[in-house]
Amino acid sequence: MKQASPFGPGARVAVQALMILLVIASLLPLYNVVSASLKSTDEFTANPIFLPQKVVADNYQYAAFSGGLLRYTVNSLLYVPIAVVLYLAVCISAGYAFGKMRFAFRLPLFLIVLFLSIFPQLLLATQVFKLISVMHMTNTGFGAILSWVSYFAPFGTYIMTTYFADMPYELVEAARIDGAGPLRILISIMAPLAMPMIATIAIIGFQSMWNELPFSLLILQTQEQRTLTVGIAMMRGEFGLRVPILSAALVIAMVVPLLTFLLFQRHITLGVTAGAVKG
Amino acid sequence: MNLFASFTEWKGYGPQKWIGLANYEQMFQDQAFWTSILNTGLFVLYIPAGTIFSIFVAALMREGINGWKTYRAILYIPNLLGYVIMGVIFSIYLRDDGTLNALVRGIFGAPIHFLINPFLAANSIGLILVVWLHLGFGIIYFLAAMNGIDQSIYEAALIDGAGFWKTFAKVTVPSISFAVEFFVVFNFIEVFARMFSFIYTLTQGGPGYSTFTLEYGIFDEGFQKFHVGYASAWSMVLFVFCAVISVVQIRLMQRRDA
Repeated sequence: MKQASPFGPGARVAVQALMILLVIASLLPLYNVVSASLKSTDEFTANPIFLPQKVVADNYQYAAFSGGLLRYTVNSLLYVPIAVVLYLAVCISAGYAFGKMRFAFRLPLFLIVLFLSIFPQLLLATQVFKLISVMHMTNTGFGAILSWVSYFAPFGTYIMTTYFADMPYELVEAARIDGAGPLRILISIMAPLAMPMIATIAIIGFQSMWNELPFSLLILQTQEQRTLTVGIAMMRGEFGLRVPILSAALVIAMVVPLLTFLLFQRHITLGVTAGAVKG
Repeated sequence: MNLFASFTEWKGYGPQKWIGLANYEQMFQDQAFWTSILNTGLFVLYIPAGTIFSIFVAALMREGINGWKTYRAILYIPNLLGYVIMGVIFSIYLRDDGTLNALVRGIFGAPIHFLINPFLAANSIGLILVVWLHLGFGIIYFLAAMNGIDQSIYEAALIDGAGFWKTFAKVTVPSISFAVEFFVVFNFIEVFARMFSFIYTLTQGGPGYSTFTLEYGIFDEGFQKFHVGYASAWSMVLFVFCAVISVVQIRLMQRRDA
């Protein structure tokens, strides 16, 4: 980041060594999963640590078809994007209302939103499950989608609120003088200007909902409806002790998160700091 | 609703029977409840180490070491994959016949019972989740905070002959004190309110109930044993903890925005 450095050559080597050590610590479990997934069960028993001597694809075939991973992936790829669209609609409109409009009980309502955003899911689980069953949505993707959006929207709303609140009020004034209503101002003026933050919360929402477990576990109880995350969590019991197959399933489950990281690294980096570090 | 349910005997459906404070009496005599509280306390003890280590590594990267951007990205990968995938990975990795123990057995001749010994299981969770898994997140977070520090302070410190350690203690850490407080609060939220998925996939609360947290207890009593009334009593305790954390967090935000 800068030229002047307090490190001498010896310290530089030590720092690099530390970084490489940390990288190894981060990647070793992942290496093990990938390498185990390519071994036959016999080879894994004989050689659990090193790279496979004979690469086999059977584990992937078994995990994807008999293990149902393909089905679960399709479910996740179907449910999560729909949920993200709903989530964005809620966060953007609520964030704009909290950030730029004045209405009764604005502050108390906003504090409730803040409180909800740290609420443990298990505290809400009984109520959420009841609500979803009253609407006859257990074991449907839409039931899961509703539970995700209602749980994760408070945090996104909070972030959008701080972002909209920091935008100059003159923009709203000018549009209002031109005769635009609140919805029109939001859609044609404010939302386009907030695009960088919207992209960031879209990624945050996608990741949280993709990885969501407790609600999906309770709502999606039939095997056909499981998301990838539920599928992976339930698999331990179902495959018994066959590590190579479990590993293949894990590798399949890693594909989408890793792809989003490669494509949207900048937004993910931004997302980590959104809501806390200002500027 | 939860408060009401906590005074009743209830399976989650059918009639609710008012039993007064009996659920709370049972809870305070329940070994699993106290283990959950102790485990949460244990995980909290890992927060300072995790925080300091993240700041330290971020400060090293800030000095512009070669390849810092690549390191930053790679160290974030475990975070990215989420608690469920990481929990299942470690459940394979730490088993007595798992890969890590294959290595340990090669060196020491006997495996370490990471997931069978209650003490080791609880500490493995604390170390993996609070320190190791949050490192990548902490680095990105603290690097962003350090970006806001005026570069001329560092140049002045360098001219005054302050080395890395002195600059770290006297310039870097005080300048990002706000970010540090937020990070600690974030970690408290993780420990009290976000650990369920990791514990469910890594140990299922076991061996026995030795890696329970309040969250896991609520799941176990409410959704596996269908003691919803009793689980609601646990919920009230967790609710109180979260309310306190939330008040601290909102105070922090108000101070920053002021």
